[in-house]
Amino acid sequence: MPRLPPSLFWRARKQISPFAPLLLPVCRTLDSTANELRWIKQHVNSTKSLVPRRLRIWQACLKRGDRGMPLQYVLGTQPFGPLEILCRPGVLIPRPETESLIYHLHSILPRHSSQPLKILDLCTGTGCIPLLLSSLLPASTKISGVDISPQAISLSRENLTHNITLSHLPASASKSINFTKADIFSPGFVPSLGYKPGELDILVSNPPYISSHGFNTTTERSVRLFEPKLALVPQVTAEQYDCEPEDVFYARLLEIISVLQPKRVLFEVGDLDQAARVAAMVVRGKGALEVYAQAVEIWRDEPGVDSHEEGVTEKMGVDEEAEVEIKGQGNGRGVYFWRRDDQESE
Amino acid sequence: MSAAPWVCRSCVRSLRRIGFAQQFVRRASTDSVKLPPALLERARFLTAEHDQLSAQLATNFDEKIAKRAGEVHRIADAFKKFENAKASLQELEGLLKSDDAEMRELAQDDLAATHDQLAESSRNLSVALTPKHPFADMPCLIEVVPGPGGTEGRFFADTVFKMYQAYCTNKGFRTKVVQYLAADSTGEKGGDGETALQEAVLEVMEEGAYAHFRGEAGMHRVQRVPATEKSGRTHTSAVAVWVLPSFAENATASDGDWDNPESDFYIDPAEVKSEKMRASGAGGQHVNKTESAIRLTHIPTGITVSMQDSRSQHTNRADAWRLLRSRIAQKRREAREEAARALRSSVLSSAQLTRGDKIRTYNYGQDRCTDHRAGLDVHNLPDVLRGGDTLGKVINAVHGWLTEKDIQALLADEEAAAAAANAPPKGRKGK
Repeated sequence: MPRLPPSLFWRARKQISPFAPLLLPVCRTLDSTANELRWIKQHVNSTKSLVPRRLRIWQACLKRGDRGMPLQYVLGTQPFGPLEILCRPGVLIPRPETESLIYHLHSILPRHSSQPLKILDLCTGTGCIPLLLSSLLPASTKISGVDISPQAISLSRENLTHNITLSHLPASASKSINFTKADIFSPGFVPSLGYKPGELDILVSNPPYISSHGFNTTTERSVRLFEPKLALVPQVTAEQYDCEPEDVFYARLLEIISVLQPKRVLFEVGDLDQAARVAAMVVRGKGALEVYAQAVEIWRDEPGVDSHEEGVTEKMGVDEEAEVEIKGQGNGRGVYFWRRDDQESE
Repeated sequence: MSAAPWVCRSCVRSLRRIGFAQQFVRRASTDSVKLPPALLERARFLTAEHDQLSAQLATNFDEKIAKRAGEVHRIADAFKKFENAKASLQELEGLLKSDDAEMRELAQDDLAATHDQLAESSRNLSVALTPKHPFADMPCLIEVVPGPGGTEGRFFADTVFKMYQAYCTNKGFRTKVVQYLAADSTGEKGGDGETALQEAVLEVMEEGAYAHFRGEAGMHRVQRVPATEKSGRTHTSAVAVWVLPSFAENATASDGDWDNPESDFYIDPAEVKSEKMRASGAGGQHVNKTESAIRLTHIPTGITVSMQDSRSQHTNRADAWRLLRSRIAQKRREAREEAARALRSSVLSSAQLTRGDKIRTYNYGQDRCTDHRAGLDVHNLPDVLRGGDTLGKVINAVHGWLTEKDIQALLADEEAAAAAANAPPKGRKGK
């Protein structure tokens, strides 16, 4: 990263506030410094404390700027769609890319389904995906979230009640959403879920997907230092799966899918290369996975936005013979596939 | 001898003209029968038309004529009642001057009732006549943008923003700050804790707020010695205020309007380019950015709206769409008014308000606020800036002025239409 000129610090001090130079090293531009400082001030003004206001602003700026703690941990929340998600060190902060993937997933779901949908979110973290889907879909939808971390599960349950008290979610959501702590790699995991094969409508997952090399090179400092590595880099050995170490979760998820046979599946992935690798895994899938092989798409950051002229679809070869459609703009961010037989019957 | 050593001759003359003593005589009829002459003119014209139409209908029935007669019937009715009330008032006033004491007493008794009648009928008449602005019932967005130039304009923009905020609070209007972009610099501070404002949008969520604040749109000029000025010179700077129609938060009736291509608020989503101002890079779990800014560009008109106030992209996008809709609706409306103005006589067009005109001056040195359109001068500037009753007085005066202008425009439109209808087709060919 290029060094910031000292003049920028002076300008931040003069044009924005004496607190601004504290935030400048992490925000890097005057615009985003002004915004973050405003949000910190709003947060401080809206919460009560015996500590003087300016001291609290200064403390928050120090945490954010000097130590580089993510703003979401400093303020304790992150907006996610219409919801407010509580954030705490030890649980991954919801990302806006996940938000747009989920919005797009919602937009392509059939409008009028006779039966309430059943949705499963694996590696749920703060519970942001189940909560957002619940706010978008009819109240009868049954959604489950699973995570290995006890901190994540207790935070996701807190988020559920928090959003109900803020009336972002109806009170009935406390019955239709549940969060359970489980290890998806444990042998008894799939039976413990209690779904019959083919019963599940949607399976969503945003598993850890950063390689240990990527963690050291492309990952931002504040993410490396403050967010849980458990949620970023797979901590499971890939020996029993024939794949890259960072793809091990997807290999396991496909095993689960071959048993549960969900109608639609959406994974979040790290980049286009990883998306291609995961798509190839689906395309080459044997046995129960063959029903998905013909219906795979790669989604970019903004899957709803067309990047090309009408009628032109972007395609990518993922296997010797298979090509997969790529949708949207931005980085490769998701892999979406659905059960072919099911689509034809609809 | 006069106490003042010297009196300006023109002042003396103007005093004589007003009739100094008369200024303090309250005339009972003034506050009730204060219809603009243009309005009365139009009412007379329409009543004549109505009479003519009814005469035509009596002889032979025509659907077109009947429809038109139905349209003007209410106005003609109201005007006749008004005329009757005025006539009886005149009669009573004549009786008051009579020599008979008993007669005078009787007239005195009747006077109050007749005044009430007159007031009511004049109110009815003006309601029947005044053309209603299509956005009049809507809530509004008040946008305050400093004019070009130094920080002084920005400081004053903050004052103007706070003035409207305080005015709404005093009036009991519900408001919401949609956007407030300020650089609260420590090096420079305006007077009264002003901050240098870049842009601010205040939403007034009351129905009918658009009609109330419509007259506030335009350039507001300030003349004062800035807090940052060392040598005490008076500076003049300007602040632009735009008033845009908005939607009630949970309005069910107007929700459908967005999707109606006929509506001013309709925007084809395909014509809008939406950008997230987000740094490029790996994204996803690799980074943890807080930028939530949204920029919308309406490609056919080139109008851009950017929102970055909230941490939530969702909220920013919703606000940006709302502002974009309002701006586009306002622009479409202005374009239509412009087209209508082209039809009118040139006399009127000079009185019309255009975007760049200065409408009001706040002069600190003279403790004065002048509205250039209504021609109103008020003193007690601090009360104006606090959004007190004095500001209400100015706004009401502008309201009266706007109504009169609307009626004149309507008259001119009808004249133009009549002229176009009567003009022989030959004349157009010659062009």
